[in-house]
Amino acid sequence: MSGTPIVLADPPGPRGRRRILISSIIALVVIAGLVTLALLRLASKGQLDGELWSVFVDQPDLRTLLWNGLLDTLRAALTAMVLAVILGVALAMARMSRHRAVRIPAVAVVELFRSLPVLMLILFAYLGLPALGWKLSAFWALVLGLTAYNGAVISEIFRAGIASIDRGQTEAAAALGLRPVQIFRLIQFPQAVRRMSPTLISQLVTLLKDTSLGFVIAYSELLRSGRGAVEFLGSRYALPIYTVIAVIYIVTNNLLSALARWLDRQQNRRLGGGHAELPVDGAVATGARPAAAVPEQGGPGGTRT
Amino acid sequence: MPLVTLEGVGKSFGDNRVLSDVDLSVEAGEVVVVIGPSGSGKSTLCRCINRLETIDEGRILFEGNPLPAEGRELARMRSRVGMVFQSFNLFAHRTILDNVTLGPTKVLGQKRGQAEARARELLARVGIADKADRLPRQLSGGQQQRAAIARALAMDPVLMLFDEPTSALDPEMISEVLDVMRSLAATGMTMIVVTHEMGFARSAADRVAFMADGRILEIAPPDDFFGAPKSERARDFLARILQH
Repeated sequence: MSGTPIVLADPPGPRGRRRILISSIIALVVIAGLVTLALLRLASKGQLDGELWSVFVDQPDLRTLLWNGLLDTLRAALTAMVLAVILGVALAMARMSRHRAVRIPAVAVVELFRSLPVLMLILFAYLGLPALGWKLSAFWALVLGLTAYNGAVISEIFRAGIASIDRGQTEAAAALGLRPVQIFRLIQFPQAVRRMSPTLISQLVTLLKDTSLGFVIAYSELLRSGRGAVEFLGSRYALPIYTVIAVIYIVTNNLLSALARWLDRQQNRRLGGGHAELPVDGAVATGARPAAAVPEQGGPGGTRT
Repeated sequence: MPLVTLEGVGKSFGDNRVLSDVDLSVEAGEVVVVIGPSGSGKSTLCRCINRLETIDEGRILFEGNPLPAEGRELARMRSRVGMVFQSFNLFAHRTILDNVTLGPTKVLGQKRGQAEARARELLARVGIADKADRLPRQLSGGQQQRAAIARALAMDPVLMLFDEPTSALDPEMISEVLDVMRSLAATGMTMIVVTHEMGFARSAADRVAFMADGRILEIAPPDDFFGAPKSERARDFLARILQH
């Protein structure tokens, strides 16, 4: 993960390096110019006035409001994450079952949830389920909608993770006399989890951001709390408040990614140290292929089979 | 009673006939080396014996009984047959020690401590006692393959299958694996070995089976086979590989 960045081409030669240097300078100048322009425009409209931005200091209620909003966001996100991962693993296992009667319903559920907008699933949970006699709070409606969609997506991520494991691993386990359930639990599952973790984390970040959809059912998450504050204080406070909310989202999501990286490192250390990807003294013979990457699964709705 | 018997075994992958009418019986304590050109069906034959591949015709008997088709009985049969693969197939996320103890603890129900002691003994026997706590990818190919042999031996198998165990190795690592296999043969282990290593076939085999086009064309003690191959195909094959 660290070290040299991933690039698509050969390392550049002298001419290439000169060209890269020149285009980098031009890009920097252009970006600096655009930022300056934006700041000047904002300043001329009075958007950068100290009074607008000191609202976070002057109004303790605003801080409390945003803090509670963040807590509500995290509560919904964490609950939905746990449930979505459980649902995802269950759906993936069902979809890989030897029995058609288990496989087909799982395929149907995954394809259904995956092809509906999250927003619609949330609305259905909030407005549709009561019609069926099942009344949910805004919190649970949001969690349920997020769980359904992300569970379906995670099941596909997980299935790709399992599929990317070398057949030889399963064969070796079977040859020892392990039963299919044991092979899944002891060999396939742990390896799949490690391979899919980057994709899984990006999906969980998406989930966290999608909690902001809770505003349609009046769930008091972070973004809705901010919007409430803007309505109350006046729209000239929109820029400061939304900027701060953006920063909170960025920090939270990066903390989530950092947590994932940390967990991965802990696991590496526990497994005898060394860099995970680097084989020692030619250990990669024809047989020991390097881990095939799990296909990239884009943002919301961007997964493929 | 032979330990393993194949009677009229045939198999096709689609239109491709990989095994036809294969008869073979292997006595306990015997070392049978299977040689032949690429694509002759030797690997498939080896993989049929513990049912990693299914067969279309004929039957395979293990200890006098037909191979179980599924379930607990199949797993039990496999636990008595060790298998060593061309690409090692060590469990990538587990240490070498864990690779060796997994079968004994999870299949045979041994206690952790007992399994570990035995695993360390086996790792010492194949010469990699100091690698017990490493991950497979931190070992060289030859070391990985020796670990894979230790993993198979930890189950106390009555039969060992070797599916081209040295084909994925760099030349300088081949002999370290063959040495382990030779010493194993010397202990009286029943072995079926698919290989391209003629030196090993000569020195360690009780019988050499020559396969071509999915059939066993000849089966004879190594001195007879290498001294006076009967079939045209075998003479051709030997001439080609012994030239260089």
